[in-house]
Amino acid sequence: MKIKDKFIELKKQGKKALIVYLTAGFPDMKFTEDFIVEIEKSGVDIIEIGIPFSDPIADGPILQYTSQISLEHGTNLKDIFSLCERLKTKISIPYILMGYYNPIYQSGLDNFAQNCSLAGVSGVIVADLPLEEEGPLKKSLKNYGIDLVSFLTFTTSERRKEKILKSSSGFIYYISLAGVTGPRETLPDRLKNDLKKIKEDSVTPIAVGFGISNVSQIKEIKDYADGIIIGSFVMKQIIDNKIEELKNILVSFREALNG
Amino acid sequence: MKLPNKKGKFGIFGGKFAPETLMEPLAQLEKTYKEIVKSKTFQQELNIYLKVYAGRPTPLYFAKNFSERIGVKIYLKREDMAFTGAHKINNTIGQVLLAKYMGKTRVIAETGAGQHGVATSTAAALFGLKCDVYMGEIDIKRQALNVYRMKLLGANVKAVSSGTKTLKDAMNEAMRDWIATFENTHYVIGSVAGPHPYPMIVRDFQVIIGKETKKQILKIEKKLPDYLVACVGGGSNSIGLFYPFENDKNVKFIGVEGGGKGLDTDLHSATLCKGSPGILHGSLSYVLQNHDGQIHPTHSVSAGLDYPGVGPEHSFYKETGRAQYFEATDQDVLKAFHFLSETEGIIPALESSHAVAWVINNKEIFKPADIIIINLSGRGDKDVQEVANIEEGNL
Ligand SMILES: Cc1ncc(COP(=O)(O)O)c(C=O)c1O
Repeated sequence: MKIKDKFIELKKQGKKALIVYLTAGFPDMKFTEDFIVEIEKSGVDIIEIGIPFSDPIADGPILQYTSQISLEHGTNLKDIFSLCERLKTKISIPYILMGYYNPIYQSGLDNFAQNCSLAGVSGVIVADLPLEEEGPLKKSLKNYGIDLVSFLTFTTSERRKEKILKSSSGFIYYISLAGVTGPRETLPDRLKNDLKKIKEDSVTPIAVGFGISNVSQIKEIKDYADGIIIGSFVMKQIIDNKIEELKNILVSFREALNG
Repeated sequence: MKLPNKKGKFGIFGGKFAPETLMEPLAQLEKTYKEIVKSKTFQQELNIYLKVYAGRPTPLYFAKNFSERIGVKIYLKREDMAFTGAHKINNTIGQVLLAKYMGKTRVIAETGAGQHGVATSTAAALFGLKCDVYMGEIDIKRQALNVYRMKLLGANVKAVSSGTKTLKDAMNEAMRDWIATFENTHYVIGSVAGPHPYPMIVRDFQVIIGKETKKQILKIEKKLPDYLVACVGGGSNSIGLFYPFENDKNVKFIGVEGGGKGLDTDLHSATLCKGSPGILHGSLSYVLQNHDGQIHPTHSVSAGLDYPGVGPEHSFYKETGRAQYFEATDQDVLKAFHFLSETEGIIPALESSHAVAWVINNKEIFKPADIIIINLSGRGDKDVQEVANIEEGNL
């Protein structure tokens, strides 16, 4: 499913998107696969499948850990594409790949884009690939109709913001805070106003990520965004083996986003 | 054409592969750098500190005994005589002064050998800024003396236990800090690596090595050298030496990387010799990596070369052939460490010993009239304990 169509569908239902990040291969690939299938039922709208990288400079301790363990098990892009291939028939929500540029670059950009297409991947997010450097990957992905989701944050200058709003496809990943990934109790006071302004300027849906870990945060920002992204919080529950609890929590997040 | 270009590229290399949050701080840094550093006031202040505080210019020393042994003229650029014992101080005085001009109250740094950490701590003490230094747990052990020096200088040394627990992961951790703290903090990168504008800024602060060298050799020999030889970790002491000779086509540039236990093993840090282009720490450059684009762990007897990346300008020099890159193994490096100590009374840093080792190993390629300049990037005091440990039998 296309990301765009998902957001259109949600809009019609008056809902906001619940986007969940999972490090592929943590604790193993089978878990990742089964868990994705299950959380579609909990009301997750889009899945971000994390490609582990040895040097994740934008990630806090939780995602550093899950990436490292996954790599120690030998996870690579080939495994991730075969997971995606299987998901094609197992789930109907869009799934996108998220990672750092080097593994993608090494696999060859056209080859990567083609594999995404074959495996039903709807979009790609690259943590260390800003507007200034995204050209070659964007071009390859575009040939296959795959979205390249860009980031925006409060430090982004007006000039770049305009360009990013034009360039991003699928949605905009709005980074809520200054810092790396990881659950926080509260979000910056500034966030609501920043989001209000961005929403006025953007035709592309805005999803907010980094730091989100509880219902009260979600209630606070949901009216100012089109969706939220939860990563470290989810992986922390998985590390702690609180799987059933996590599914219930995701349901509560879903409800908070609806009403 | 002056490089890097506007996008921070040296040919295809370099650039700004950074998370979105850092794009504006990087742009600010570039803008302030261009405005302030080119200003007369800044340059005057910097030059005074380099002279009366860091002890520049450092001597260009004709190493007579060494020369006789090899059969060519060998000069040593004595960066080991710069204050704090390595070339790193040239960069940190520049960057910390820049941080002060930018109104920052705190600096952070990554360090491998501890030399850059010491040099940053020193400049932070001098200019009254708070300082946190990230250092891998393994390096903390093998460079214990420098850890204590940093503490004496009032810096806070933060142990990094993630990944390989060496320089690469210290740099990851410093970047993570900076993503959260850029408003009051300047990240003092210690080599010509990282996203644009760092490779340019660090080079510009290190070219004083080459500028002085050029003047000194022309005065002594009335001609340019045939070879410039320097060790390459991230590549700052080497670029600093090479850059002012870039257009002197008869001057050969030799960069010497950490050969570790040999290039036929995985235990080395010879990025340019054995790596391939990839993206690490914000720029496209040669990196040591596996087939899947995961960064390789490295090994070198010298903590300062134990890094799987290299500055993008070196990748450009390699591709254009302007410089050539070789390696020296741990074993040869230890021999060179002793050799220079005994023949010249100079104990070189293990990093710098790589350059010395390359000259010793290649004496048959030189002509008797050749003039070779080795950048003695640092002194070996910090390594004495570690070499003693190694030679007591656990290499
Ligand atoms: C004495 C000395 N030389 C060389 C290096 C390597 O760095 P670069 O290649 O940036 O000069 C270091 C790094 O710690 C060092 O301490």
